[in-house]
Amino acid sequence: MSVIELEDVIKRYQSGVETVEALKGVDFSADRGEMVTVIGPSGSGKSTMLNMIGLLDTPTEGHVHLDARDVTDFSEDELTEERRTGIGFVFQDFHLLPMLTAVENVELPSMWNTSVDRHDRAVELLRRVGLGDRLDHTPDQLSGGQQQRVAVARSLINEPDILLADEPTGNLDQDTGQTILEELTRLKEDENVAIVAVTHDDQMLDYTDTTVRIVDGVIQEVDQP
Amino acid sequence: MAWRNLGRNRTRTVLAALGIVIGVISIASLGMAGAALQQQATSDLGSIGGDVTIASGADSATDGVTRAQVETLRDIVSDAEVVPQKSNSTALTARNGEEARMSVTGVTNAAALYNLTNGDAPNRLASGALISNGTAETLDLELGDPVEYDGQIYRISGFLEESGGFGGGGGQLVLPMSALSEQDGYDTVTVVAGNSDAAAALADVIDAQFNGEDDEELRVSTFGSLDSLETFLNTLNYALLAIGAISLVVASVAILNVMLMSTVERRGEIGVLRAVGIRRGEVLRMILTEAALMGAVGGLIGALGSLLVGLAMFQLLTGNAMAVFNWSSSQYLLFGFAFAVVASVLSGVYPAWKAANDRPVDALRS
Repeated sequence: MSVIELEDVIKRYQSGVETVEALKGVDFSADRGEMVTVIGPSGSGKSTMLNMIGLLDTPTEGHVHLDARDVTDFSEDELTEERRTGIGFVFQDFHLLPMLTAVENVELPSMWNTSVDRHDRAVELLRRVGLGDRLDHTPDQLSGGQQQRVAVARSLINEPDILLADEPTGNLDQDTGQTILEELTRLKEDENVAIVAVTHDDQMLDYTDTTVRIVDGVIQEVDQP
Repeated sequence: MAWRNLGRNRTRTVLAALGIVIGVISIASLGMAGAALQQQATSDLGSIGGDVTIASGADSATDGVTRAQVETLRDIVSDAEVVPQKSNSTALTARNGEEARMSVTGVTNAAALYNLTNGDAPNRLASGALISNGTAETLDLELGDPVEYDGQIYRISGFLEESGGFGGGGGQLVLPMSALSEQDGYDTVTVVAGNSDAAAALADVIDAQFNGEDDEELRVSTFGSLDSLETFLNTLNYALLAIGAISLVVASVAILNVMLMSTVERRGEIGVLRAVGIRRGEVLRMILTEAALMGAVGGLIGALGSLLVGLAMFQLLTGNAMAVFNWSSSQYLLFGFAFAVVASVLSGVYPAWKAANDRPVDALRS
């Protein structure tokens, strides 16, 4: 059963007087415990597709299903709620808040929700990504790889169904990137999440279960292992 | 969280808060200055403001106000105290050779007219004398010392409070009515109405009773000008507050600018917050809290600063620094603080709204 599904999604942008069609009828799905990597040249619509999956953007035509529910016509506030409970994000340049410590950054998505205390889980997650001794460091006291691991921990704090990674290794060197990927693979199984990653990084293909190539807004090939 | 966000660009935060501090100080200090002026002016004029002074009119056939007229006055005004006075002037020589000229007032009900710093003002002054405390100092006179007027000796039974504003300067000697018995009518009659409104009303009644259109038997006067002085002081107060408010408006524009800059700068970060599921209302609240904190801290420092300014101002204007804690002036501290918080939150509304409603996709891309 797919946890996320794009059904014939078309996305058009108004760019000046021109209308750009970034996605031209994309079908896509990912399962729990599966890592799907989306590759393609820049401008091919990878990021737009990731935004659709992450409920950050809505399609012009077509449908988005999350956990078999059609969320296409959800309001912004409903989408925010879905993102909060069901989706974790890992960004290329980490996007940690500079004035918060590692553990606070991990707690961030649940910080406004006073009904649950995620502190213990945040500490737990940081331990699991190997940062148990860096809990109270601020981002500028951490290396790039460490920051990305904090970001991975943050994406998992609300026990999401899907983890979206936009070039997760893009700003890291080969070795550090590799540890992050190993981390993701391990967490994918431990947490039973679907990981959808967009990348230019070839080494990522060694870890992925499914590879999707997108060119000019159209999915060209899907490699199943 | 909001607190730490403010801490990130300390210089900018401090400068914006400084704007608020200056705004609050100016609005609160100017307000308090107005209150101090008003208090001082009212205390100067307060005692005589409620009096109606009656003297013989231009068309009167008699010398002074007659006994019969005083009786009629007593009938008309019913409740108010009617105090007839005779006046003259004299020079007193002290044992130490000092000489002082002063006005002499003959009065029976001294209690109704005078405030004493020492001793008692009887409402039937029969034998003693009251003297201005300034004059008493010059002449080295103490309670119980004798003064001579018109061949008679009177013992000093009290000292008069120097009336600050009007009519001050010269010394005053208050004697029993009998001391000036060679005068027939009364030179003036004071009707103690209590406040300036009542005084004005009484003056109208008295004027109507005694005087015809072309016939002024009695000259009736009040310090009705006190009313217009109060109006003037109020206007002045508002003008001062308006000037203060302008500086607070300038300060809130500074806050608007700072909040706008900081949200533009943090656009990507706010995009991340929104992406990970922080609601729009929560982003809005966070930024408004930052603005409110800035306003509260600035307002608090400003209020403390104004308190110092107010203490100095009251010391200078009224000689009583502690009077700053009277509600009439300390209210401006509260107003200043409240204004600062409200202005800050208001100027935080637009940046907060803008940040919260930015689409996360666009914000993340920036």
